[in-house]
This record gives sequence, structure tokens and C-alpha cells, in this order.
Amino acid sequence: MSDLLEVNGVTKRFGGLTAVKNASFTLKKGDFTGILGPNGAGKTTLFNILTGFMPPTSGTIHFNGELVRELAPYKVVNRGMARTFQLTRPFIGMNLLENVLVACMSPRAKEDKDKEERARHLLAQVGLGGRDKEPVETLPYGDLRRLEIARALATRPDLLLLDEPFAGLGSSEIEQLAQLIRRLHREENLTILLIEHKLREFMALVSRVIAMNFGEIIAVGPPEEIVKNEKVIEAYIGKTEDAHASA
Amino acid sequence: MKRIAPIDIIGGIIVVAILAAIPAVTGSNYLTGVLTVCVIYGIWASSWDFMSGLTGRENFGHSLFIGAGAYTAGFLSSLWAANPWYSLPLAVVVAVAFAVLVGFPTLRLRGPYFALAMLSTSAILQRLCLIFWEYTGGEEGIYGLDPLMKSPLYYYWFALGILVITVIVLTLLARSHWGLLLRAIRGDEATCQAAGINVTFYKIVSLMISAAFAGLGGALYAHYQLQVSPPLFSVIVSITVIIMVYVGGIGSIYGAAVAAILLTLLTEMLRGFGEYRLWIYTLTLMLILFFLPNGLIAPLWRRMTERLR
Repeated sequence: MSDLLEVNGVTKRFGGLTAVKNASFTLKKGDFTGILGPNGAGKTTLFNILTGFMPPTSGTIHFNGELVRELAPYKVVNRGMARTFQLTRPFIGMNLLENVLVACMSPRAKEDKDKEERARHLLAQVGLGGRDKEPVETLPYGDLRRLEIARALATRPDLLLLDEPFAGLGSSEIEQLAQLIRRLHREENLTILLIEHKLREFMALVSRVIAMNFGEIIAVGPPEEIVKNEKVIEAYIGKTEDAHASA
Repeated sequence: MKRIAPIDIIGGIIVVAILAAIPAVTGSNYLTGVLTVCVIYGIWASSWDFMSGLTGRENFGHSLFIGAGAYTAGFLSSLWAANPWYSLPLAVVVAVAFAVLVGFPTLRLRGPYFALAMLSTSAILQRLCLIFWEYTGGEEGIYGLDPLMKSPLYYYWFALGILVITVIVLTLLARSHWGLLLRAIRGDEATCQAAGINVTFYKIVSLMISAAFAGLGGALYAHYQLQVSPPLFSVIVSITVIIMVYVGGIGSIYGAAVAAILLTLLTEMLRGFGEYRLWIYTLTLMLILFFLPNGLIAPLWRRMTERLR
């Protein structure tokens, strides 16, 4: 039971469509793993299943040795698995501090007595320090992603799941955000699972890749190996080139 | 915790002082009665605002709690002839029990289930009052409740005091971390879940708090009218309360209380217009809500005192 996360035979069907097919993998404490796959490969569905937002059709998920597949999302968070959303979902009408404060009140963060101090610290940690009173409505996309990460960190996670943190960002923003994520992994002793379909940013960041296509895991390994894997080249890289050409 | 501006406290004291002084100065028993109803509506409106205004889950059956509180007072007097003062705490308990009964199964669901369940439960209780007329007195209801106080003026001051306590308690809660969570639920329930917050728990407890004050107000109303009848459960009562909150400015608590007082006064003042009364009342409401979708009282007050904050 040294594995932090153990996913076993997870399948999700929507009517006739199988979004995730028999997915199995494990994460060890301190891992920095990425899920790679073109749009529609089932990455976000898998995330939703892991975090309790969606029940799997079949399969089991163990986190810290405990079965979490029937738990409500907030319970999963309080077991130590926090997520961010691909489309950021801040609390509109609240300022940055209040947005993070909400998560500081989760049962898992009960050790943090001074909630506002903790929220301010988190904002500073993700590079939004001193901007407590700013409304979220006017925040650029890159900062919203940072806010999402601060909110997830407030629940003191062991495992952080990042859903396409780089989507829609410019290259300099991506570099800064990648640095932040790397630092969190190193300094906070976080295990990170990250979804991305952009190859370049991804390969430089993670130490292990789970490649998906059409809901199936087609390869697992270090990035150097994955880029050479024939199945991945055939199924994934070909597709993205097409997608880029048609975009 | 959000700070309450000194100007808000000063404004509140002035308004309460004026409200307390009016009947004492004029000495009119009629006005004292009208104002008693005004402040009771204030309790109902601000308690609605606390749950529904903050979490955004509209409660279309606040009359359920109001009627439950009032009938508790009625039964206590007709069946057990108990000390009338017991009816206030007991009304709170009964209203909170109804909040758990309806809130527990429906507040965990998304969509309109909660609003519909509140609406239909209040309608069902109104029917039950007619069906079990042997106990409830049917259409006529229960008569001859004991007044809590002999002097109508003292009773008015007592009700005003309860309103002040209601507004203070609910405002402090709304501005606390607890209130922040309720506003977050209004914003995005999925994000709340992702932040590790048990959304259902907070919604149910806030409904219980809301019901407690509404039930208390119901019992106060019963001991003012000295009679309870099925229309207390009616949809019109619920809708009236909701309109008051919207005119007051949703989520502000004090706005709802002030709007409730002003609108109740308005309906009384329009009595002279006879059958045109409802026309004028409705038209006024439509104009306010059309031109001021964020409400009248709270936005106006914030604007007036902007420089003093």
C-alpha cells in the first residue's frame, strides 16, 4: 500500500460512448505525472471520476489505501485530493482573498487557525500577493489559473490534480506557471497529476507520462520513451498535427 | 469577518429610535397595530433573505415556517392552555423541525426541487388545516389566544426588539466566514465542492436558522392577532415576503427589514383608495423592480453613505 493513488479498471460509459475504458495506473508519493492525449481522449472525464464529480460505470479507486469511488467531491478533497478546473470557476462577486478563504474553511484546513493569514500566504505563494481586494471578474486568465491553484492548496492536498493549466495561455505565462508548479512539487512535497494536450510544455515538466487515446491508456513511461513509442506517435502525434493544420 | 461601518450602526440606531418613538408620540392605537405588523413582516423578510438571499436557493414557501410558528402558538393556547410565553421558543423548535424535514431531502439536489418542495409543503399544510378542522378550527382557525402583554405599545416595542435582534444576529452571521460560504454556494456549488466544503450541510443549517426566526415571527403574529387561520400558510404570504426582500436589495438583511416595514405601511396608507389599492401597490412594485433590479433600500443607503465609509 505504498501507492498514493491506485486506479483499477475504471470504465465510464455515456450511453453507447465509452469515454474511459478500463483505465488502470498507480501514483506514488512525490510523483509528477502527466496524462497526455488529444481532445476527447477522456482525460477530463477520468479527472472527474477520480475527484468524485462523476461515478465510474465500473472499476475502483483507492487513495491512501482507502476506497474513494463512492465519495462526494468535497469528501474526496478532505481526504487530500484537490483539483483545479480547466475552465476556471472562481466565485464571482468576491475578491481574491475571499475566493481562497472559502477553501481555507474546509475541514481539512482546520489546523490553520488564522484563515485570512493563511489565505494571504497562499495568494503570495502562487504569485498573487498583495492583491487581496481585487475582484476576480477583471482577472486575466493566467492569474485565474493561479487562483485555482491557491484554492486547491488551501485544502492542504497530498495529491494535486491540474486540469489543463496551460490552456489558452501565452508562452511567457506558460513558462511562469510551469515554474510555479515545479516549485510547488519540490517545496511542498506535493504529488501532482496534470492533464495537458500540448506536448512541448508537458514533456519538459513531468517525469512520467500516461498516454491516452479514445478513452484507453495506450502507454505509460518517462517522457523520453513516450515520444518514441510507436502507438503514441501513430495515435496521438499524428492527430495533433492534423488538428494544428486544420485549426 | 467583514467590518460593519460606523455609519451603518448610526443609521440603524436612528431608524430604530424613530420607529420606537412614532406610536409613543402619536398615541394612536391604530398606528401601533400597523407598525407591529410592519416589524413582524420585517422579521419574516430578513429571515428569508438570510437563507435564500445569500445562497441563491429561492424558498417559495416561507409561509410554511410562519404558519408553523403561528399554529404552534394557537395549539398551545387551545389544546393545552399553557403559559403563552412558551409559544415563542416552541414555535422556533417546530419551524426548525419543518426546515429539516423539507430541506434534508431537497437541498442536496440541484435545480428547482427545493423551491417546489417548500411551495407545495406550505400548500399542503394549508389544506391539512381545513381537513382536520376539528383540531384546527378549519377556515376560522383558532381564536382567543392570550396576548403576551396587556399594552399594545409594549408589545410593539417587544416585537421591534425581536426584529432588531434578528437583523443584528443575521447580519453578523452573513458577514462572518459562515456567510462567506453561503455566498460562495450562491456563486458556484461545484467550486465549493472542489474547495472541500459540504454544500448541503451549510444550506440545511442556514435554512434552519432562517426558519427559526420566521417561526418566531409567526408566533409573534399569532399573539398580536390573538387568532390563527389557514391563510397564514398561503403562497401570497411567501410571495409578499420575497417581494419585500427584492425591493430591499437581496442579501443585505437590513434592506429586507426596512422594505418590509415601508411596503406594509404603503398597503395600509393605500386603504383610502379602496379597490384601486392593489393596482397602485403592484404598479409601484413593478416600477421599482423594473428600474432598480438590484432593489431600492440597500443600494440607496450605500450610495447615500458612500463618502462616510
